Formats: sequence, C-alpha cells, structure tokens
Amino acid sequence: MTQSHLNHLQLLQLADSALPIGSTAHSFGLETLVAAGRLTTPQLAGFFGDYIMEAGAVEALYGRLAYRAAALADERDFETRWLDLNARLSALKPARESRQASAMLGKRFLHLAGSLIEPSSPVLHLASASALRAGIDLHHATVFGVVGQVLGIDEELTVLAYLQQNLAGLISACQRLLPLGQRQAAQLSWQLKPALIAAAQVSQDGDLDGPAAYSCATLVDVAAMQHPGLPTRLFIS
Amino acid sequence: MLPMSTTSTSLTSPHRTDGRLNIHFYLSPTTPQTNLRVVEQTPPLRVVRGFNQPGGAAMAHLHNVSGGVLGGDALTVTATVGPGARAQLTTPGATRVYRHRSGRPDAVQTTCFTIEAGGLLEYLPDPLIPFAGSRYRQTTRIALADDAGLFWWEIIAPGRETRDELFAYEQLDMTVDITAGGRPIAIERLRLEPSARPVTSTVRLGPYRYFSTFYICRTGQPEAVWIDLEQELVALTPSASMGQATTWAVSTLPRDGLVVRGLGCTGRDLQTTLIELWQAAKHRLYNAPAILPRKLY
Repeated sequence: MTQSHLNHLQLLQLADSALPIGSTAHSFGLETLVAAGRLTTPQLAGFFGDYIMEAGAVEALYGRLAYRAAALADERDFETRWLDLNARLSALKPARESRQASAMLGKRFLHLAGSLIEPSSPVLHLASASALRAGIDLHHATVFGVVGQVLGIDEELTVLAYLQQNLAGLISACQRLLPLGQRQAAQLSWQLKPALIAAAQVSQDGDLDGPAAYSCATLVDVAAMQHPGLPTRLFIS
Repeated sequence: MLPMSTTSTSLTSPHRTDGRLNIHFYLSPTTPQTNLRVVEQTPPLRVVRGFNQPGGAAMAHLHNVSGGVLGGDALTVTATVGPGARAQLTTPGATRVYRHRSGRPDAVQTTCFTIEAGGLLEYLPDPLIPFAGSRYRQTTRIALADDAGLFWWEIIAPGRETRDELFAYEQLDMTVDITAGGRPIAIERLRLEPSARPVTSTVRLGPYRYFSTFYICRTGQPEAVWIDLEQELVALTPSASMGQATTWAVSTLPRDGLVVRGLGCTGRDLQTTLIELWQAAKHRLYNAPAILPRKLY
C-alpha cells in the first residue's frame, strides 16, 4: 500500500455523507422550496444541475483557495489568507441559518479531522486557533480544502470530493422531503457527476472576482432566509 | 448649500465615456445641519443641489444627464458622509441601461461610499432597468466606520415590460462589498445571463421578474438588536413565504446589520413594501422618521 492509496481511502471517508458532522440536519433552504411547492421530485435533476453551477462553483472556489492557502510557507501569510477567505464566505451567505450551518459543519469537520490525523497538523491547529482569536467562523468548504492539503490529496480531487459530499447531503435531505427512493437518489447523484466536474473546472482560476465567484442562487437564498418562519420543520436550516 | 460645480468631459477613448461624481456630506460646525459639497463632477453625472431635510439631513439627486447608461460608459460615483453627518441620495427616476453596442466595452458603474463615525447614508435609487441587449457591470463598495449607518435598497427590473421585453439583456453583474470596521459584512457577486442560464430556474428567480435587496446596517449594535429587528420586519412583510405574487425574506448579516430580499412579479409592490420596512427600521435604529425623497412615489 502506498501513501497515495492511504490518502485516497482517507478522502473517501471524509467525503462520506455519513461522516458524523451533522450534515443530515440541514437542507440549506430546500425544505422551504419543497413546502412552497416550488421543488418537486421530477424537477430535482435540473434543479441540482443549476444549483451546482451557481452555489456549488462558489463553494468550490473557496475550498480551492483554502487548499492553496494551506500550502503557503509562511504561517502569517496562511493566517491572513485563511481568515480573509472565511470572513468573505460568511459575508457571501445572506441567510443566517445557512451561514450558521456551514460554520457548524466546518467547525465539526475541523475538529474531527484534527482528531483523526496523526501526527497532529500545525496547519489545522493554526486554522482553528487563529479563527478563534479573530472571532471568525470557519466554513465547511474552506476547512475541507485545508484538510485536503494537509493530507496531501490532489487539489482537483479535494474540490470534487467536497462538491460530491455537499450534493450527497442535499439529495439525502430531499429523500426526507420528497418521494425520492434510494435508487432514484443514486441515479440522481450518478448523473450529476459531470456537473460537479464542470463546477470544479470553473473555479480553477482561483480568482475571487472571476467567473466562479459570480452566481445567481437568489431564490434558494430567499428560501433559506425564510426557513426560520416555516411552521413545521424537519431541518435546522 | 449649493454645490461647487465643475463641468468637463473626459473621453479616454472614442468608445468609453468616463463620468465622475465626487461629493462630500459634512456636518455644519455651528448647526445640526448636514451640508453637501461637490468635489468633482463630469458629464454625464451631475448633482444639481442639496436639499435640507427635517432632522438635519441633506438630500441630493444623482442625475445622469444622458438619460441612462450607454454602452461603453464608465461611471464612478464617490460619496463621503463625514462624522455625524446624515445624507440621503436618490435618483430622479429609473436607471436605464441601454443596448450594448458592438465594439464598445460593457457599461460599468462603480459606486464607492465611505460613511464615517456616527454618519448615516440613505441610498434609495429608483429601479434599474436593463434594456434588451445591454451588458452592464455595477460595483458598489461601502465602508462603514464606528456607529455608521446605512439604508440602501436596489430594485432590478426584468427590462421594459411595456414592450414585452423580459430578461432580454445579455449580462448583468452586480458586485457588492460592504465592510464595517474593515471587515466584510455583506458581499454579493451576482451574475445574470438570461440566454445562457435561464432565470426561471428554481435556483435563480423562479417565477419572479423583479428582485430587490435592502441593506440595513448600523455598526456596533448588539446582535440582539438585529434578531429583534429581523422579527419585526418579517412581521411587516406581506408574504414572508413562497407561492405569492411577491415574496420577502429578512436575515441578519454576520454582524452589524441585516438584509432584506424581495421578489415580485411587479416592481411597484416591491417599492411600497421597501418604504414600509425602511420606516420601521429607521424608527427602531434611530428613533427618527424615514423621510421620503422629494419626488413622487
């Protein structure tokens, strides 16, 4: 077994939707769309295709930039870049619940990865400690990127694995919100893989003002903002 | 309070018109009245004069004397609201973005506001109407100092509805960066390309044609103030759920403010509700009335 094999197995575990970080508790606004009759089972493939190209590409961009930041030789450079990326990602998320959900998943993912990776990583320690000092939330996408770099996993694989995990969580949410069987869910996830690759490719330039940074997920954002007002809720967000 | 006026045309190339407007609002040293000073203005941007408002604020209209934003325009508006000053900026009418002309750069408008300690800016432009074939990039940067306040709404129309012109523009980019004490509190990177990415997608605008964003900020207010205000504004919105002709949502920002989003099938409903939300928020945050700009609504 090579180190590369080991890294791939670790990535498979970290990208598993069953990873115990609480992702199954969040719908990121999909519950509101379903409750309003705006999202139905036949619409899911088209919806997720658009969602990945809009919101997914933005998350991929930030995850990728965090991955690259973790390779910076100077700790201060990393800290500055790391905090800036996370502060910007917080500011990009208009819905409080989705922002907090992303931060909660990021915090738990970092804690879990920190407890699994041996020997302990000074980069992960700095990532956590600097954010705590600055009072800045860490997000799932950025933490995933840093962990990918720490484990020595290829950048593209890291970004794709994050997108895959993100999509798996949303499809899982839809299985509880809509008549969507396991076989259908698996088909959906399978057929959307080219979209994940396309979203990752858009983010390759790593430009915070480039094509991947621009998106339009306005109705999803509004749905996520309205989620606290739903009379009956299965999900935290 | 008449502005110092300068007029000159600056053409950096035959295909690009640079218009600049730089204004400064400052508190009078002797009275609680905010005054306006025009630092620079070049066509097509112009401020004619400032108006005193009850409560000591100064109000001004941002004019574009060419009647709209033309393909190739590069317009820059800069405004500073000095310590303790209160300012209101509006437009005399909707901002029309004309069809892009082949060979010309995209139309660009950059707006930079600095609101210094204790200052307040109410930026209440009329809707933006991107015409068929237009390509427009709008960048807005707002820096808030300690105890600085902001009320800013934006309404985007689908085009000239009376000509059945819906989402016929080529590209619309809206870039927003709001910072408080140097830290970002709201960022938007919005791109609409209706022909390449259908706006009717449930991810994007769904069945709605108009969309609006309203930022309400005051640096240094505790989080509890924003949670309470969020609930108050949600209660005021006519349909804080989906499935209606208009739908509204309110959420706190990471700190120092909240954002309201409204989607509607017509623009008029959005504007009416925005005014009501502004009035409630102004009362809550400043214990002062929201005074409509001097024009008809």
